[in-house]
Amino acid sequence: MKASNLRRLAAALLVAMLMLPGCLEAEAVDEGAEQATEVTLTVWHSFAAESKEEAVFEASVAAFMEAHPGVEVDVTGIPFAEADRQFMIAAQADEAPDLVRLSSDQLGRIGDVRVSGEPLLEDLRVHLTPAQRSAFDARALNAMRYDGALLGVPASQDCLSLLYNPILFDAAGVEHPSEDWTLDDLVNAADELTAGDVNGLAMPVKDAYWWFGFQAGHGGALFDANGTPTLDSNGSAEAMQWVIDLEQVHGVVQTGTQTESMKTQFLGAKAAMIVDGPWNWATYEAGRIPLQQTLLPTVAETGERVAPLVTYKGWSVSKQSPEKVWATELALHLSSMDVQRTFASETYTLPTHVDLYEDAEIVESDVLSGFLDQLMVGTPAPTTRAMGMVYDPLVTAFENVYAGEMAADEALQLADEALEADLEAAS
Amino acid sequence: MRALWALLGVILLAGTAAAGASNLVADGSVGYRQADLSWDLDSGAAVNGAVFEIWTSNESLLNASAPEVHSTFLIGSTEGLVQPEPGAWYDDCFRTADGVEAPVHRLDNGTAVLPEGTTAVTCTLTGLAAESEVHLAVWTIGPDGATNLSESVRVTTSIADVLAAPLDTSPYLFAIGSIALSLIALLSVLAWRDRVDGRTSARGAHLYVAPALLALTVLTFYPVIYGMWLSLTDADQTRLGDQVFIGLANFAEVFATSGFLRVTAFTLVWTVVNVVAHIGFGLLLALLLNAANLRGRTAYRTVLLLPWAIPSYISVLVWRGLFEPMGAINDLLGTDLNLLSDAGGARLAVILVNVWLGIPFMMMSISGALQGLPKDMYEAAKVDGIGAYDRFRHLTLPNLRSALVPLSLLGFIWTFNMFNVIYLMTDGGPNLDFDGPGSTDILITYVYDVAFRDGAYGVAAAWSVVIFLMLVAFSWTYMKRTNATEAVA
Repeated sequence: MKASNLRRLAAALLVAMLMLPGCLEAEAVDEGAEQATEVTLTVWHSFAAESKEEAVFEASVAAFMEAHPGVEVDVTGIPFAEADRQFMIAAQADEAPDLVRLSSDQLGRIGDVRVSGEPLLEDLRVHLTPAQRSAFDARALNAMRYDGALLGVPASQDCLSLLYNPILFDAAGVEHPSEDWTLDDLVNAADELTAGDVNGLAMPVKDAYWWFGFQAGHGGALFDANGTPTLDSNGSAEAMQWVIDLEQVHGVVQTGTQTESMKTQFLGAKAAMIVDGPWNWATYEAGRIPLQQTLLPTVAETGERVAPLVTYKGWSVSKQSPEKVWATELALHLSSMDVQRTFASETYTLPTHVDLYEDAEIVESDVLSGFLDQLMVGTPAPTTRAMGMVYDPLVTAFENVYAGEMAADEALQLADEALEADLEAAS
Repeated sequence: MRALWALLGVILLAGTAAAGASNLVADGSVGYRQADLSWDLDSGAAVNGAVFEIWTSNESLLNASAPEVHSTFLIGSTEGLVQPEPGAWYDDCFRTADGVEAPVHRLDNGTAVLPEGTTAVTCTLTGLAAESEVHLAVWTIGPDGATNLSESVRVTTSIADVLAAPLDTSPYLFAIGSIALSLIALLSVLAWRDRVDGRTSARGAHLYVAPALLALTVLTFYPVIYGMWLSLTDADQTRLGDQVFIGLANFAEVFATSGFLRVTAFTLVWTVVNVVAHIGFGLLLALLLNAANLRGRTAYRTVLLLPWAIPSYISVLVWRGLFEPMGAINDLLGTDLNLLSDAGGARLAVILVNVWLGIPFMMMSISGALQGLPKDMYEAAKVDGIGAYDRFRHLTLPNLRSALVPLSLLGFIWTFNMFNVIYLMTDGGPNLDFDGPGSTDILITYVYDVAFRDGAYGVAAAWSVVIFLMLVAFSWTYMKRTNATEAVA
C-alpha cells in the first residue's frame, strides 16, 4: 500500500473515531430527554420585553413545569398589538403555538378566520368545568366568547383612569382631582396647571382607544344592541371634538402627544395629569413620580361618567395544538388565583378571579382598588368582528378632524359608513 | 377535606342518609372531554336551600382522596334568572319539574338553579379527563345541613380530540415539482441539441447551471407564479385554502380603489425624486472625494458612509423622533410643527429621510467607477486646455454611463419597492381617505395594508402583479432606450 493511501486511511479512521463518541453521546442524551419530557408546549406571550410582567409570567411558567415534570414549555414574546395578526399568519402556515395571550377585542378578528375550513382557536367550553368557569368574573368570561365559543381563559382586565402628580397640583395651588369632577373641572384645572414647559394633561388626543370612554360619557356608543355601528351620533361627535380641543383649543395637552410621549412627559413631571392604564403605574413608580389615581370625571351635560373601554387579556388554545389538554391546564394555571394575585401585587395587573375582588391585599391597595372601581364603571369592549374593524375608519376620522379637513360629525358619519361597508364586505 | 366529607357521606349513607340523588346514568360517548349524566332526585331532596354538587374523580369516590367539585346546583327561586336555550350556554342542563323538562336557569356566574320539586336532571358535563375512566357522584347538602353522597357511576370518555387537518402542501409541492421538472426537461433538450449540433465543448454546462435554476425555481419563479394565481382567486384570511378562481375581479377592484391614481402618482414622485437625489448627491460627493488634493479623504468617506452602516430601521426611528413636535428639529427651529401629522409635511419628511439613507450607496458605487477612469485621459484634456466643467461634461459623464445606467435602474426598482422607511416613519399616514391609501402610502406599503390588515390576499396579490407589471414595463423601456445591458457588458 502506498504511503499516501495509508495516510488517507489513517485520516478517515481518525475522523470516524472522533465522530463516534459524539454520535453515541447524542443518542444517550436524546434518550434521556425523551424520558424526562413527554409534552412540549409552545407559548406566545405579549408582555413587554424585560418588564415585571414578563418576569412574573416566566416565574409562573417555571412553577408549572416544576409541578408537571413531564411538560416542557417554550416561551416566545410577540408584540401585543401584533399578537392577533402574527397568530393568524402562523396558523395559516400550520405553525401556531399551543397557547397564545390575546386581548378580548382581538378575538373578533380571529373568530371568523378559517384555515381549510377549521377555526384557529379551540372552543374551551368543553375543556372547563362549570366550577372552573365560575371562578372568573362573568363579564370577563363573556368577553372571551365569540359567536358562542369560549376562545380564552380571562387572566386580567384593564382600562384607563385619571392619574395625577400631587406635587405639581400643590405647587400650582390647584385642588386635587376628585370623583366629583366634571370635564369642565378637568379642563379648568389643566389650564391652571399649564405653565412653562408643564402641561396640565397628557393623553393622545387622536387615539380612538382614549376617545371611547369620553364618547360613552357624552352619550355615544360604538354599536347598538344589534351590533350595528353607531359612530355617527351627536354624543360621539361632541366627544371627538372635545378631546381634540384639549390640544388645539385649550392648549392643555402638548401638541402631537402620543402614547409614548405622554409617558415621557408624565415621567419627567412635565404633565400634571395623565389618562393612562394600570400597566404603566409600575414605570411611574420606578421613576419616583409621586402619583395618585381617581375616577375619570362625569360629563355635566349628560350626567354620565366617562366610561373607558374595558378589555380583557386571556390565554387561548390553538385549534391546531395536539396537546390541548395540557395547553388548557397551563391556561388555567396562568389565570389561577395565585398567579393573578402575584401579577396584581407585583405589576398592578387587575385580576378577573372573583375571589380576588375581596382579597385583603387587593382591597388594601389604593391602586388596585382604585382601578377596579374604574373598571366597574367602564364599558366592556364587545367581542365582535366589528370591534376589531372599528379602529381603521376611526383613525381616518380623527386625522381629518385634527387636520381641520372635516367637522367631527361629518368625519364620524363617513367613518360609520366605511365601517358598515367593511362589515358588509367581510360578511 | 374532601376525603373527610366523602367519608362522612359514606357513614351517613350507612346510617341516616338524607334525601339525595339516585339512579345515576352516564354516557361518555357524547363528545370530547364530555359525558351525559342524568339522575333522579329523591322525594324531598329538591327543597329550597338544598345544594347539589357533582363530584368527579379518577378513582372510586368511596376511596377518593381528592374528588373535585365539577358543578353546583342550587334549589331556589328561578324568577328573574336567565334560562339559556340548548347550545347557548357553556354546557347544557335540563331539569324535570312538574313533569315538564326544560333548560335549567342560571346565575350570572353560571351556577344552575333548579326549582323546588325538581325530580330529575340531565346534564352534559364538560371538562372531564379525555379518553379516561371517570367516577361521578352527586353530593347533596340539605337546607338543614344533612348530607348525602349518591352511589357513584363510572364512565369512560371515549371521544378523541378532532385535530385540525394538517395544511395540505401537496398542491404547492406539485407546482414546484412541475416547474422543476419542466426546467430539467428544457435543460436536457438543450444538452441533446448541443450534442446533435456537435457543440461538445458545452458538455456538462447544463448540469452546472441546473442547481442555480433549481434554486431560482423555488425562490423566484414559484412565488411569482403563485402570486399571479392568487391574484385570480378570492383568497382571504378568513378562508385560506378554500379560495376559488374569480377571474380578473381583483384587478377590477384594484383599479376601482379610491386613491389608486393618487398612490401611483406619489409612488412615482417618491421614486423619481429619490433616485435623482441619490445619484445627484452621490455623484457630487464622489467627485469631491475623488479630488486629488483632498486631505482626510478616509475620514470623510467614513462619515458619509454612516447612514449606510447603521441599520436603516434605527436611522428611520431616530428621524421620526427628530421630526416629532417635541423633537430636536422643533427645538432647533424654536417651532411647534407637527410635520408628520400633515399630509404634505409627512411626504416631504419621508422623502428627505430616504434621500439621506440612499446617498452613501450611490456615492460608494460611483466613487468606485470614478477611480477606474484612466488618469491620462484627464491629463491629456488638461494639456489641451479643457476646463473642469467640460472635462466633467464630456469625459467623466460619458465614461460613467456604464455604471450610472444600471445603478439608476436598480435604484428605481429598489426605491419603488422601499417599504421600511414609510412603514416606520408614518405607517402610510396621515390617513385622510376612508377607503384608500394614506397620504404617504406608496404602492408597496399599501399592498401590506391590504394583505395583512384587511386580510384580502387575493386583492393584495393583484396589487403586487400590477406593481410587477409596472416595473417590468419601466425596466424594459429603460433598457431599450439606454442599452443598459450592453453598457454593463
